[in-house]
Amino acid sequence: MPIFLYIERATFIHRLHPTVKVFALFVMFWSVYWVDHPLALLPLAAVMAAAAQITGAWPNFYRLRWLFILVVFFTTLAWMVFYRQGPALINLPLIHLSRASLLFGLGRGLKLAELLATSVLFLSTTKVEEFTAGLARLGVPYRVGFAITLSFRLVPLFIDSALTVVQAQNLRGYDFNRGGPLERVRRYVPVVIPVFMGALRKANSMAMALEARGFGMSRQPTSFIDYPVEAGDLAATAALFALGAVYFIIYYTGYGAISPG
Amino acid sequence: MKDGIAAPGAADPAPLKHDASAGVAPAAALDGVSFTYPGGARPALRRVSFELAAGEMVGVMGATGAGKSTLAKCLNRIVPEFEGGAFAGAVRIGGRRLDGARVCEVAARVGMVFQDFEAQLFSTNVAHEVAFAMEQIGMERAEMARRIRPALEAVGLGGFEHRDPTLLSGGEKQRLAIASVLALRPAVIVLDEPTTDLDPEGKAEIFALIGRLREQGISLVVIEHEAEVLRGADRLLLVREGEIIAEGAPHDLMTRLELLEECGVHPPDLNRVLAALGIAAHAASVDEAEALIRRALPRLGAPPHPLDTPTGPAAQAAAPCGAAAWSTDPAAGAQPLAEMRAVSFNYPGGPLVLDSIDLRIAPGEFVAIIGQNGSGKTTLAKHLVGLLRPATGAVMLNGRDRSAMRPAETAAEAGYVFQNPDHQIFAATVEDEVAFGPRNFNLAPGEIERRCAEALRAVGLENAGGRDPFLLGKGERQRLAVASVLALRPRLLILDEPATGLDYREQRRMMALVAELNRGGIAIVMITHTPWLVAEYASRVVLMRRGRKLYDGGVREFFARDELLASSSFRPPEATELARRFGTVALGPDELAAWLRARA
Repeated sequence: MPIFLYIERATFIHRLHPTVKVFALFVMFWSVYWVDHPLALLPLAAVMAAAAQITGAWPNFYRLRWLFILVVFFTTLAWMVFYRQGPALINLPLIHLSRASLLFGLGRGLKLAELLATSVLFLSTTKVEEFTAGLARLGVPYRVGFAITLSFRLVPLFIDSALTVVQAQNLRGYDFNRGGPLERVRRYVPVVIPVFMGALRKANSMAMALEARGFGMSRQPTSFIDYPVEAGDLAATAALFALGAVYFIIYYTGYGAISPG
Repeated sequence: MKDGIAAPGAADPAPLKHDASAGVAPAAALDGVSFTYPGGARPALRRVSFELAAGEMVGVMGATGAGKSTLAKCLNRIVPEFEGGAFAGAVRIGGRRLDGARVCEVAARVGMVFQDFEAQLFSTNVAHEVAFAMEQIGMERAEMARRIRPALEAVGLGGFEHRDPTLLSGGEKQRLAIASVLALRPAVIVLDEPTTDLDPEGKAEIFALIGRLREQGISLVVIEHEAEVLRGADRLLLVREGEIIAEGAPHDLMTRLELLEECGVHPPDLNRVLAALGIAAHAASVDEAEALIRRALPRLGAPPHPLDTPTGPAAQAAAPCGAAAWSTDPAAGAQPLAEMRAVSFNYPGGPLVLDSIDLRIAPGEFVAIIGQNGSGKTTLAKHLVGLLRPATGAVMLNGRDRSAMRPAETAAEAGYVFQNPDHQIFAATVEDEVAFGPRNFNLAPGEIERRCAEALRAVGLENAGGRDPFLLGKGERQRLAVASVLALRPRLLILDEPATGLDYREQRRMMALVAELNRGGIAIVMITHTPWLVAEYASRVVLMRRGRKLYDGGVREFFARDELLASSSFRPPEATELARRFGTVALGPDELAAWLRARA
């Protein structure tokens, strides 16, 4: 099974300049940030669905479906319970359910889903090398950019390692699900230590291999791939500016907010 | 030069100091190098000097911790630049001293390929991977484009440019790592145990490639535990406790069998057979060994026809020394300890990884599961302990459906030792690590103590109970992992590559332990790529190929069947290959020597 989310395609979005893709990531986050109302978030969801369709990223969403379901469900539920504004539809000792809390909970769930979806779309269409190049073009030092993108490669490796450790401890009769919430967290010590030690060893091996292949020789290494700026990049940048501006206006005019009444 | 690989040293960007006294400079040289790691109790290298001539291949052999890798890392300044520590002496590459150079500055002159192929690949496709090092040294894009294809073709990965490196096989990943080094056109390439984690086919790929690199005039330093794979070297160095204790051509050094064993190196099987027959010579190949033996023992007669069946008279008569017997249904008749009934399995959305597997493991058996990477070996073993559930079919443990058993019941029947012991070690002391399993089953303190003592004694760690497991050597950690599973007293022990990453001495010790456990009544299932482990320790072989069981039977029969060996890319140990030339199937050098002596 591939450990990266990148899907090799030649779509318009795949071919965008890396800097435009990094900018798109920023604009989507920006737009999601400014509004709370589910209706205001829906157009962004539609944009993302269209992007997923165009780029063929749906298999990645399927791979991560449980993450989406759990995050969205529990966020929505938690905010519905703890957002105590507006006239109550149901009023119990701990639960104050109102139209506003329902909308707020839905909005928060949708927000998180959209932030996740933006990331999935970005990683489905952007190679880590492009990400590094994009960050470098935006003025981020090469070493910093490389370290950020390397983490995208390491995270799946560490998850894989953690799953193996869980299996090894399970086979020695260890029950991770015993006790209350705090006890359950504490019971992950036999996983955390081997994974941490393994990560340290892996990081050391990788650092050695990187230097042995010339990493650090140049402050601004050359790039094998040429990333010319094309008309499509300019058009996409303009569209992204417009989207960011529209969402700021929605926020500024108050249309994206939820009224307690 | 072939395939466009330019002359060594074509890229020359590093500001190294020229040594005017060098004369005709060797490709690389260490001059009186000593090195102690930070906090190290003793030097890892002591006054080591050696020269690597241009176009020469030097093999470096020695036990784990002898200083082989440290020596290699001096050549590209990882020692001391990356590791820190106290360094003395001089290192020269092409006559230039490396004093003060950074590791990255040496990259274009000395390429290094590490044992851990996963840790040296950073990119999302093969072409980017090869370009990575060239980007780092600031090469122009057009030049990179010119170099990528020849480098990939040189390692047999032409046409792989757009493939995802993470989806390549182990052998392909290691060849890709070599290609990315080759693209820089270094004068010297250092390969530090490059085949440790590879299956026999992957190993063969790497050594074939090393042969091609030699033809191209690249100077090579290859570190290995197995002497026989270094036969093609021009010169061998034997390292012990940080010193080069012997140096010479393969035909000199490889006949010093006792010295090799003392140094944790697996001596060549062919030379062991010759020595046991009193023939003082070095055999560079099975052909040569056969000729030497026939000359020394003329009564053996003419070469027989090849074995066409292991049940034929030659093979039957040949079954020497009462070694492992075979049958077509090894576990038939006995009450199986573990059984798989028509088990099929696939990961979500993926193809079948196991396809209708029937398997019975009887009490006290020693079964080797072999096959290429991705053939389904580990998936099969994980079904036996319930780490995976079959899509169809059933797994039975001691007559009970495993899916209906609690983890505690499974653990008492079957234990699993992972390939990497570090995947389970977490406790502060060795004793706590072993006690972890029994404690999970809420056993009484006295019983836990008894089991710990018993398990530690079994693996030879009875005096290490209070030590920090993270400070143990790899071999000791591997034995600790076995002890921590043994403490649960399983009747079936599954070991995934138990000898990987260990030197020969540690491998022998580990396998002696496993054989002892087997003699004590524990059934063993061992997943392995190592032919001599199968030949010398297992009594039954299960050969997997693309999720199907291709063969299930005796070891001797397996090694007699050419078509199986060919289709599985599993090469028999050289002693077994040599035995077949004499019409028998021997499972080790001693067995073959005894058989030959009896007929001489």
